[in-house]
Amino acid sequence: MFSVVNPMKLHYAYQVLQMSTVKEQLIEKLIEDDKNSQCKITIVGTGAVGMACAISILLKDLADELALVDVASDKLKGEMMDLQHGSLFFSTSKITSGKDYSVSANSRIVIVTAGARQQEGETRLDLVQRNVTIMKSIIPAIVHYSPDCKILVVSNPVDILTYIVWKISGLPITRVIGSGCNLDSARFRYLIGEKLGVHSTSCHGWIIGEHGDSSVPLWSGVNVAGVALKTLDPKLGTDSDKEHWENIHKQVIQSAYEIIKLKGYTSWAIGLSVMDLVGSILKNLRRVHPVSTMVKGLYGIKEEIFLSIPCVLGRNGVSDVVKINLNSEEEALFKKSAETLWNIQKDLVF
Amino acid sequence: MSWTVPLVRASQRVSSVGANFLCLKMALCPRQAARIPLKGAWRFTSVSKMATVKSELIERFTSEEPVHHSKVSIIGTGSVGMACAISILLKGLIDELALVDLDEGKLKGETMDLQHGSSFTKMPNIVCSKDYFVTANSNLVIITAGARQEKGETRLNLVQRNVALFKLMISNIVQHSPHCKLIIVSNPVDILSYVAWKLSAFPKNRVIGSGCNLDTARFRFLIGQKLGIHSESCHGWILGEHGDSSVPVWSGVNIAGVPLKDLNSDIGTDKDPEQWKNVHEEVIATAYEIIKMKGYTSWAIGLSVADLTESILKNLRRTHPVSTIIKGLYGIDEEVFLSIPCILGENGITHLIKIKLTPEEEARLKKSAKTLWEIQKELKI
Repeated sequence: MFSVVNPMKLHYAYQVLQMSTVKEQLIEKLIEDDKNSQCKITIVGTGAVGMACAISILLKDLADELALVDVASDKLKGEMMDLQHGSLFFSTSKITSGKDYSVSANSRIVIVTAGARQQEGETRLDLVQRNVTIMKSIIPAIVHYSPDCKILVVSNPVDILTYIVWKISGLPITRVIGSGCNLDSARFRYLIGEKLGVHSTSCHGWIIGEHGDSSVPLWSGVNVAGVALKTLDPKLGTDSDKEHWENIHKQVIQSAYEIIKLKGYTSWAIGLSVMDLVGSILKNLRRVHPVSTMVKGLYGIKEEIFLSIPCVLGRNGVSDVVKINLNSEEEALFKKSAETLWNIQKDLVF
Repeated sequence: MSWTVPLVRASQRVSSVGANFLCLKMALCPRQAARIPLKGAWRFTSVSKMATVKSELIERFTSEEPVHHSKVSIIGTGSVGMACAISILLKGLIDELALVDLDEGKLKGETMDLQHGSSFTKMPNIVCSKDYFVTANSNLVIITAGARQEKGETRLNLVQRNVALFKLMISNIVQHSPHCKLIIVSNPVDILSYVAWKLSAFPKNRVIGSGCNLDTARFRFLIGQKLGIHSESCHGWILGEHGDSSVPVWSGVNIAGVPLKDLNSDIGTDKDPEQWKNVHEEVIATAYEIIKMKGYTSWAIGLSVADLTESILKNLRRTHPVSTIIKGLYGIDEEVFLSIPCILGENGITHLIKIKLTPEEEARLKKSAKTLWEIQKELKI
C-alpha cells in the first residue's frame, strides 16, 4: 500500500496522528498575524552611537519594529540577540537585523549612525571624505526599501553629511534631517542648569549653526521662567562678562573632545538626543528642535548648506522653521558657520 | 572617620521635625565634594561685590537639603554597569545615581556623557568618584565590577581574585550605606553573592544575586518565539545556578494558566518529539554566542537589573528568580546561594516562594550546591 517512505517522514506522520504540537493544542488561530508594522525604525550602524539610540528608543516604546543594519555581521547579530533577550522588559515586539537593506523595508524613520569615528584630536571635518564614500553605499538602498521614510543623519560631520545624504537620496528637504545642534543645545542647557542650580529642562537656550566648533549660542534667548539672563547681565556671552558665561559655550564645543579623550567615544547623550527627535517625528508632536536643515535663502545664505535652526518636527519631518531674529553678530557667526562648511562641501567628490 | 556616624543617621527617612540639621549639613559635604566640577565652570567671582545672574534671578527659599530616598550606586562602569545605568535612568526610577570605578578617565567620561542627556530624560543628579563616599546613603548598590576569567584560569582562582576585590568594595559600600540592599551581578554570581553576604555581614534579605533573572527572561523570550506570543504572556522559571547547570522548571511553564506539561507530558525530557529541552539549552548557549559575536553581553542584563531595581525601589513585591541563600531548602545543607522565586520589595528579599520541584530538579539543585560549596570552602574570606 505504501511506497518506500523515508522512515523519519513516516514517524512524523505517525506523531501528527497521535499528538499535535503544544502550540496547536494550546492555540486556536482566528486570523493571520498582521506582519505590517506601523512604526518601524531602522538604525544603520551598530556601534556605540547606534546601540545607544536603539536602547533609548526601546525603553521609550517608540517603535513596534526595530531593524539593525551593519557591515560587521557578527557584531550585528550579537547586538540584535542581546536586545531580543531583553524583550520581556519592553514593548517592541520585533527586532531584526541584516547586512542587506531589505531588512529595513517600510521604515518610518531610518537613523544613520554609520561612519568613520572621530579620533582623539581629529575634527569632524577631517572625517568627511571617508564618510561620503560610506553614504554612497548606504543611502540608495535605504531609499529603495523605504521610499517614504524620514532619514535622520547622525554621523559626523553631521551638517555636511546631511547635505550629502539629501543629494544622494533625492528626497525632499523636509525628510532629511541632521541631528545637528539638538545635542549641543542640550549640553548648553545642562551646563546653564549646573551654574544656576536648576534642572536643564527648566533652562532654555539655543545653539544653532554648525554642530561643531563654529556653533552659534543665542545668548539673547537664554532664559529661565521667561526671564532673559541677558536682562540681568547685559554682558552675558561676551568676553567682558565678569561671570564668563561665554565659557559655557566653549565647554559645549569641547564636550565631545573631552568625553572622547576620557572614554573613547560619546554615546549616551547622542542616543538620548536621537530618541528625543524620533519621538517628535513619530508622534507628530510638532515640538521645536535645533536640527540641521537646508538654510539656503535664510540669513543671506546663498549656498546649499545644511545648518541647525529651530525646526518644527512632525510626522512629515521638518514641517516649519522658526524665524529667529539674529542680531548682527549672531548672523555674522551663522554665516561664518556656513562659509566654513561650504569651503569643504564645494571640494567634495561624489 | 568621625563624620560617617552622623551620615548614617541622615540616611534615614527623616521628617523635617525629627531631622538633626547639623547631621544633614555634614551629609552635604561628601556629596558636594563628589561632584566633579567641569573645567572652567566654577570660576571664582567676588560675590560680595557683584551680584551674579544666579543671585539676581533666584531667591533661596529654604536651607533644607534634600534627602535621597531612591539613590542607586553602580560599582563598575563597564558595558554591564552602563547598561544598568541607562536602563534605570530611562525608567525614571531614581533621584540620584552614583558611579564608582577604578578607571577615573572612563568614569568621568561616562558620567559627563550621561549628564549631557539631562534635558531628554529628566536626568536626576549623577555623581561619580573613585572614592566610595560618593555612594553614601544609597538605597541600592549594584555591583558589576569584577575580575574577568583569563585563559586557562580555574574557576577557583578567578573567584579568589574576586574575593580580594570584593573585600575592598564591600567594606567601603557598607561603611557609607549600611542600610542598603546589594545586587550582585558580577560572575560567578552565586558564589560572589555568598562572598558579598559574608563580607558585608548584612542580613540575608539585603543581598540579592541577579542570578537566573536573565536566564528566565531569555527562556520566556524563546518560548514566546516558539509559540508566536509575547514573552510577557509566557511564564516559565529557570532556577538554581546561573549558567550551565541552571534548572528549567517544566512543570511551571504555562500560557494563560495552561501548563504546557498537560499538553505534552514529555516536555523537557529526551523523549519529547518537539524537543522543548532545546529551548533551555539555547538559553545556556546564547550567552556564549553573544560574547563570541559582540565580545560581551550588556543590554539584556542591564534591562533585567533595572527590572529588579524597580521592584525594590517601588516596593512592588513582585516575584523574581534571584540568587539567595538556600541552606535548609530542598535538602541542601551547604551555605550556598542559588536562584529561587523571591518576593522583592523595599527590604530586599522579603519572602520565598515554596516551589515544588520534581526529585530530578531537586537533585540538580543539590548537585549545584555541592559544586559551589567545593569552591566556596577553599576561599579565604
